[in-house]
Amino acid sequence: MVGIFGDLNTQYVISTAIVSLYVSTAAVGLSTLASLPIALAIGFSDFRGKNAVTTVINTGMGFPSVVVGLVVLLFLSNAGPFGSLGLLFTPKAMIISQFVLATPVIMSVSLSAVEGVDQRIRDAAFAAGGTSRDVGLVVVKEARYGIVTAILAGYGRAISEVGSVLVVGGNIAFADGTAFTRTLTTAVTLEARQGRYEVGIALGAVLLVLVLGVNAIGSWARRRGGGT
Amino acid sequence: MILAAENVAYSYDGEGVIEGVSLEVDPGEVLAIVGPSGTGKTTLLRVLALFDPPEEGTVLADGEDVWARSEERRLPIRRRIGMVFQDRSLFSTSAARNAAYGLFVRRSWDERLRSSLAAFLGRDGSPDGAYDALETVGLAEKADQHAGSLSAGEAQRVAFARALATEPDILLLDEFTSNLDPRNTAVLETAIDRARDRGIGVAMATHDMQQARRIADRTAVLLDGTCIECGRTERVFENPRDERARKFIAGELVY
Repeated sequence: MVGIFGDLNTQYVISTAIVSLYVSTAAVGLSTLASLPIALAIGFSDFRGKNAVTTVINTGMGFPSVVVGLVVLLFLSNAGPFGSLGLLFTPKAMIISQFVLATPVIMSVSLSAVEGVDQRIRDAAFAAGGTSRDVGLVVVKEARYGIVTAILAGYGRAISEVGSVLVVGGNIAFADGTAFTRTLTTAVTLEARQGRYEVGIALGAVLLVLVLGVNAIGSWARRRGGGT
Repeated sequence: MILAAENVAYSYDGEGVIEGVSLEVDPGEVLAIVGPSGTGKTTLLRVLALFDPPEEGTVLADGEDVWARSEERRLPIRRRIGMVFQDRSLFSTSAARNAAYGLFVRRSWDERLRSSLAAFLGRDGSPDGAYDALETVGLAEKADQHAGSLSAGEAQRVAFARALATEPDILLLDEFTSNLDPRNTAVLETAIDRARDRGIGVAMATHDMQQARRIADRTAVLLDGTCIECGRTERVFENPRDERARKFIAGELVY
């Protein structure tokens, strides 16, 4: 990259973007696998305390990321219960913290989408000879727009946050400038702090393009997933 | 298959909706279930459709207590019963895939996966039976149209086609023409006639007394959750034995 971004190291940008994509995609993938079944189970059942559970999940959407980072740090530090795993200041620790941040978002929005599917749709699937698994699949398909939105919202939360990955990842780059636990967001923070605003803006632009790309893929998936 | 309710009772939140109801749906006949709103017609149909077990009494399929079976062994019986609801109940996909749903869930997982993949890639993948059923309700030309773009009447016809596509023994219809214009109603009544000719037993809850008189072989009058009159339609309409049934049919019973 040249011009106003003249001294921008392409390898640095690419490796930082790869770390961002890898950490956020892994975290959101795992979070989706964990959140969707729970959202379906809650959405399909009626139990005492359901409102309280839903409120707790919704509250989780507002968790401050630095606090999440701090809690994950305490768990993964040498003195913590999982210190022996040696995960602190690695991409895996960042995946864990982003998983914690993305899960309430994906679960809450998915739950809303699942609960928004009309009871008559479930009845129709059952009456047409569907098993409870078939009815569940119909609900997921009917709620697909909401579920994709939930995943995109979770992805947005994960890839754009800076606090927790900074705390548990450490914003580490190798001597040759390639990123180890440095993401686009933590790199922007570092560049801005060092007064290299043009590099920070370039990295921010890359981040925006990535988010745009992920959303474009999500929109495409929503359009194509039309079958029941 | 003969589907029968024997002394069934069902309640919601402790409030009894139907009580001691016994009736039978025979092959090749249309049974109309009439009665004022809130009298338990929908609940009775849902019990017959095996949504939930009755709190008292039994549901019999060819004389066998259906709820004595395990869920797995109940499924084949459930799949011989089709149901059409009062309101829009279509999935947000094409008319053809809606009509094909009952056939779809009866396929192996391998076939279902291939069909879903075909749909994702923009090909059709709907079984032929779905088109035949849509043809029966005069909507074959709208097979590829999205359910959301259909009129209320067309949507209800697709819902009927979905129930018909699986060639059920029993068809349960819940106020299925109450929101339709005369033309759509006529199309569906013709389809019911054809279903009866094919040996399908039909039980339909309706407010429309004229409709019951037009197409039902037998009529049951439900009042306050109990069946107060049941017999040949002509006899029930012209010579009801129960005084409340006579008043209801004459429009003298105000609810």
